[in-house]
Amino acid sequence: MRPGVVISELGVRFDIDRQKRPTTPALSRIRRHCTAVWGLRHISGAIEAGTAVALIGPNGAGKTTLLRTIAGVLEPDEGQVQTCGRIGSLLAINAGAMPRLTGRENALLLGVLAGLPRRWTREALDQINELAGLSTAFDRPVSTYSQGMRARLGFAVIQYSRPDILLLDEIHEAIDGEYRRHVEQFARDLQRSGGIVIAAGHDHQELARLCDQALRLDGSGLHPVPGWADGAGAVTADAAGAVTAEDSGAGTAEDSEALAWPR
Amino acid sequence: MSSSSVVLGDERERTARLGAWFEQLLVLTSSDLRSRYGRGRWQLVKWLIDPFALVGVYLLMDTFIFYRRPYAAGLSLACSVIPFQMITMTVQSSLDAVRQRGAILGNMRFRRVLLPFSTALTEACGFAGSLTLLALMIAVYRVAPSAQILWLPVGLVLTLLLGITVAYPVTLIGVWAPDMRGLMMSAVRAAYYLAPGFVTLSTIHGRTQTWVKVNPLTSLFELLRHAVLYRSAPPLWELLVPAGWIIALLLLFVPIYNREQRHFAKLLE
Repeated sequence: MRPGVVISELGVRFDIDRQKRPTTPALSRIRRHCTAVWGLRHISGAIEAGTAVALIGPNGAGKTTLLRTIAGVLEPDEGQVQTCGRIGSLLAINAGAMPRLTGRENALLLGVLAGLPRRWTREALDQINELAGLSTAFDRPVSTYSQGMRARLGFAVIQYSRPDILLLDEIHEAIDGEYRRHVEQFARDLQRSGGIVIAAGHDHQELARLCDQALRLDGSGLHPVPGWADGAGAVTADAAGAVTAEDSGAGTAEDSEALAWPR
Repeated sequence: MSSSSVVLGDERERTARLGAWFEQLLVLTSSDLRSRYGRGRWQLVKWLIDPFALVGVYLLMDTFIFYRRPYAAGLSLACSVIPFQMITMTVQSSLDAVRQRGAILGNMRFRRVLLPFSTALTEACGFAGSLTLLALMIAVYRVAPSAQILWLPVGLVLTLLLGITVAYPVTLIGVWAPDMRGLMMSAVRAAYYLAPGFVTLSTIHGRTQTWVKVNPLTSLFELLRHAVLYRSAPPLWELLVPAGWIIALLLLFVPIYNREQRHFAKLLE
């Protein structure tokens, strides 16, 4: 079965009680005076196999929430997200690693939680270290790692788990140039083999090296960015995500052919 | 494809899923163990300090404050302190379980229903270690083991199961009301004093005894005492009360936990 992501009328709600604490829907029914804020609402679309998509948009547009919902970290409050294929996600700044455990121990934990058999993961730990390029730091507690080292560790585990769908959230901000090329190579190979890559961030130039198509997420929904592959790299990435390749006049809407988005 | 091969395929898939479930529980527990208690031989010492210290303090109180000299006081106390340690440590760890795993919860999907289970299993390692206290007390008071010692594993299993089922509501409380952690720990300590921990059940009379029997800790304490101290078979209620609590907690809170865990990532950071 080919990998795919289908999003229909997706809505993710955040409930906040009167003491300004985030709360769960069940608890918000008990606690009075709770307010609901929609992180995402009425989001629809589909991503087909063999696509690498950059997810851009202003801060607070819901890029991380959307990635987390596709990853299954969050579940929709409205609508649904259907995915087909094994998901590898690097969505948190600490890459899901527990600070008091060593890189090796974290790799085993993350690998098994990602669905790999324990024996395989144990046998592959040195290989994962090689992929991460952590060398002797692999046996040090993760609390001594930089953000980039944590991202390398998380990515190496994902790489070893051979995902069909790769989700990356602002990973470029954490890793160095050499490892960025490594991530790009892996993403290109995954795309070529029919997998899906979805990467969110604000560095459009870096995202353009990783993804040949882009989607802009804002209050009105998800919109394809025509001409991303041709012109986005030349466009200065503004923090609000307002400037797109479309604004630079490059490319056409046909570039977004693998994206089935409502227009 | 014939129907028998479909059934065989389903069976294999179920076995594989169960295997993955078990392996994930194992890695969650072992990582929790390292994260909470560190590594090396001092781990065992850390687990033993608490129950040994507690029995020591209660023995001193018994002797010098209450001037009581009950039969095999240290062994009787050990029978209450060991299950109590399991429950109290599980409660303490469960209150923090989601925050502790926040990094993974925010990054990837996994069987989050295993979190409270693995927390209880982590504390079960300390629980197993504290059994040396029981062995030591049996030796100190020279209590010859009888056939009733076979009730000991039953008591230990019930304690473990109660710890696992208690972990689900407590994990939810840790998420719903993190500022109630202190109150929760006080409630657990109160549960010890509202059970025959310091004294045996036979010294409590009348309606108080009836009420005390409702406390699941009462059954766990008395079950262990029946196995190693009273050397008689426990009455049926000592098995039924904790079993009832375990079933009730399981039926009530595991579904609520399952519904709530979908939103844990929203509460992090």
